[in-house]
Amino acid sequence: MIASLYRPLIIGLLPIALIACMSPEPTGAEESAAVPLGVDLGGSGPVAETPQPQVPTRTAFAAVGHASEPQRGSEMQMAHAGHNDAHGTGTVNSVDPAQHKVNLSHNPIPEIGWPAMTMDFPVAPSVDLKAIKPGTRVNFTIQQQPGGMHEIQAITPAGGGR
Amino acid sequence: MKARRVPFHCGLPLNRRWFIRGAAAGAFTLAPWPLRSALAVLSRAPVLSGTDFQLEIGPTPINITGHPRIATAVNGSIPAPILRWREGDTVTLAVTNRLSEPSSIHWHGVRNPSPMDGVPGLSFRGIAPGETFVYRFPVHQSGTYWYHSHSAFQEQTGVYGPIVIVPKGGYAQAFDRDYVVMLSDWSDESPDAIVSNLKFQSDYYNFHQRTLGTFVDDAQRKGFSDTVADRLEWGKMRMSPTDILDVSGATYTYLINGQPSGANWTALFRPGERVRLRFINGSSMSIFDVRIPDLPMTVVQADGNDVEPVTIDEFRISVAETYDVIVQPKADRAYTIFAQAEDRTGYARGTLAPRPGMAVAIPLMDPRPLRTMTDMGMGGMQHGPASGTDMGSMPGMDANPEAKKLQGSVGVDNVAMMPTQRLDRAGEGFPPGRRVLSYADLRATRPGSDPRPPSRDIALHLTGNMERFIWSFDGKKFSEAEPIVLQRGERVRFVLINDSMMEHPIHLHGLWSELENGHGEYRPYKHTINVKPGERLSYLVTADEPGRWAYHCHLLYHMEMGMFREVRVP
Amino acid sequence: MSAYRTIPSAAALVAFASAAAAQTPAAKDEPTLSMEPLPPPVMDQGIFAHAIFNELEGRFNGGNTEFRWEGQGWVGTDYDKLWIKSEGTLQSNGTLDDGQHQFLYGRAVTTYFDLQGGLRSDIDSRPTRNWAAFGIQGLAPYFFDLELTGYVSGEGHLAGKLEASYDLLLTQRLILQPQIEVNLYSKADPARLVGAGFSDIDTGLRLRYEFTRNFAPYLGVVYEGKFGQTAGYARRVGESTGDFRFVFGVRAWF
Repeated sequence: MIASLYRPLIIGLLPIALIACMSPEPTGAEESAAVPLGVDLGGSGPVAETPQPQVPTRTAFAAVGHASEPQRGSEMQMAHAGHNDAHGTGTVNSVDPAQHKVNLSHNPIPEIGWPAMTMDFPVAPSVDLKAIKPGTRVNFTIQQQPGGMHEIQAITPAGGGR
Repeated sequence: MKARRVPFHCGLPLNRRWFIRGAAAGAFTLAPWPLRSALAVLSRAPVLSGTDFQLEIGPTPINITGHPRIATAVNGSIPAPILRWREGDTVTLAVTNRLSEPSSIHWHGVRNPSPMDGVPGLSFRGIAPGETFVYRFPVHQSGTYWYHSHSAFQEQTGVYGPIVIVPKGGYAQAFDRDYVVMLSDWSDESPDAIVSNLKFQSDYYNFHQRTLGTFVDDAQRKGFSDTVADRLEWGKMRMSPTDILDVSGATYTYLINGQPSGANWTALFRPGERVRLRFINGSSMSIFDVRIPDLPMTVVQADGNDVEPVTIDEFRISVAETYDVIVQPKADRAYTIFAQAEDRTGYARGTLAPRPGMAVAIPLMDPRPLRTMTDMGMGGMQHGPASGTDMGSMPGMDANPEAKKLQGSVGVDNVAMMPTQRLDRAGEGFPPGRRVLSYADLRATRPGSDPRPPSRDIALHLTGNMERFIWSFDGKKFSEAEPIVLQRGERVRFVLINDSMMEHPIHLHGLWSELENGHGEYRPYKHTINVKPGERLSYLVTADEPGRWAYHCHLLYHMEMGMFREVRVP
Repeated sequence: MSAYRTIPSAAALVAFASAAAAQTPAAKDEPTLSMEPLPPPVMDQGIFAHAIFNELEGRFNGGNTEFRWEGQGWVGTDYDKLWIKSEGTLQSNGTLDDGQHQFLYGRAVTTYFDLQGGLRSDIDSRPTRNWAAFGIQGLAPYFFDLELTGYVSGEGHLAGKLEASYDLLLTQRLILQPQIEVNLYSKADPARLVGAGFSDIDTGLRLRYEFTRNFAPYLGVVYEGKFGQTAGYARRVGESTGDFRFVFGVRAWF
């Protein structure tokens, strides 16, 4: 009786196991949860402009401003505003067809001053990701979007495969 | 280190390097749900705000290296929860001890009445097992501080956490994000075993000693006779210049906010934002050299007190010190926060990134420093800060009057014949070309609140016997010495002469230490002062708070082996 | 944190909080004034105990095999320790040779040296002898480990022992250790085959690999030599007066 159950069980479970093993990397949200994130305690709020009065000896200092810092606004300019295409090579770690993203470990990209990194890239909707599999070595072109992210405009397997 | 993913992974992040480095995250996703929820508290210390706090110190399972151990933790997390106070509030903290031995919590750098300082034996009896002790005190200061157990070796096994005190009048510097970066060290060995090992063989954890190989290398570089002379010079003293940290990466895993490097603790930012990083060295025995490659840091606070902003590439943070820096990453890329141990036996590493999951190459560790004859107190470097008006006595004159008395005694293995002022030097082990913070760079933003000159000098020698692993002040352990008594309201100068060849971060509870570093009345207010080997420095103290204050080296095993004093203000 | 993790963490904190709150009233019942002395803030008078086998080895010369041990241990504080030292050689014919056991009290007197005094008992297959012992032990300049002990027997005979060794690091874990032990006696003791003057030397070169600090197997060569009158006694009973042996053993401590 056990033998008669055994075979169907294996035949039934095996494809499920294979599918589970071959399913793509966890989505970005789940993956980010796997990396411990620091707790942001928030911004400074308005900076104290005038020096606080001298405090008595036995208490320590309150933080007091010297308004000698340049205003924040002027430093909000993006470093690479107006930059166009940059080219890079790297290796695909994972592909997320649902969100149309890939995670790449890429080589330095001197055009935009990037060192070698591992990161997610959104991919332009027109780009076909069917040939891009985890482990593939790729050449790619990225372009900075208005929101600041670099989006892949083209991605092709480099010669030589894995 | 690139995170390479194996294609067949069955839905789990099977990054082999994470596993080998024992990332809690990896074990996390494999663990069944109830265990995962228990571990969830360990993976990120929550923030506790307000004026009433409940803290519980108890045993907690931990797994940093792949070997499960039992740690001691506050509210089940390592580091303990971030306590967020507001300057001007009165805080009440009920601390319950669920360990089977006495415990305590000391609020490091926070000025409060002596009974609230948390040192068993001086402030109070300690918190007995099962007991709850209620701390209550007003908060008259702001900045980054930390808290830790002052009982036995509980600080080493996990009882440490950050304190962030929000200033009443607002911050001096603007920033958009704010992260605590608490560095610490974890060993799977019990602290009692570590100390016992050091008592029998003091170089137990030093696997970077001089060998036949290094002799041959040095002989090729410097010549045979020079190398022989160098070996004989150190051999005669029975000292080793490779002695940097007593306990090394041979047993330690270095943690950033409780995470080993493989876990990739990440702080998020949007490009162009100003990010405040509150670095706290909450380790027991490890001095870290911290830098963020490609991103300069502007130091704005040291030990919780504002300093004139100074932009640097790297700083050395000794045990118990804190440095608040502001960085402004403009590019849409990740940066590595790199904290290497001074002896280069390991590092803690995190990432500053615009999105989670990003990682950048981890730099190689710098070459290991070696102790020099200046560290042994043979003089040789007579730099001093530019305006030396309040430097105490000049180096060279009465360099070390107690030398003869201390030499040869059981507790002392070296006396610095010519201790030097080196506050403008960061220390050994930094490659040229990097701007490294030194104590001479710290200039307070406001003049000191007590303009009186000191009425007397109190000179203390930082001494030790490495071979016997005995550490002391003036050659005497705590149990062999009398308290240092100050008059209420007195203004004194402490002069420290480091006769040993190791750094000692010296911490005075309850009273500010105003480091005389050449900035006159703008001298920085610190609670922990790192004295370099063979160095002589001085600081001013106003004894404005009565009590029995602990005064000790903050290297935990040095403190417990005798490098401790009571400073009594009646 | 996603919801399914927040809830158990929050629940845990609430549980801790309520447990702590339940404890708080008890704190108010604690006496505010206690007559007992406070415990010290640091325990710097700790008692430690360690023992080491410097030699735990088989000695082979192609003919017969010996087994030798030499070890010591102590328990005590930084200043005061009780020592036990023991050595002996087990011959292939079952007899125990060169058995010397010392029980000493040691006091730290200088940075690197301890003064020791106590009792030495020579217990092996030959007649037992007891001596009063007095000596120093420590680290000499240039990192030589040194033990120098003098002995007085009940009959007023004197003896002396010098032991020295040096650790030469070839690599961080591969260590070459030359070692020497010399004994001398003021008066001959034929029953123990010991002559007056310089009696015997046991010296060796051992190469050990420290898998861990506490456990290091080694191999090496030793020379067991006898001088003068002792050599004469040895020849009379057919023992060799100078013997090179290959050794294999372990250096272990805890």
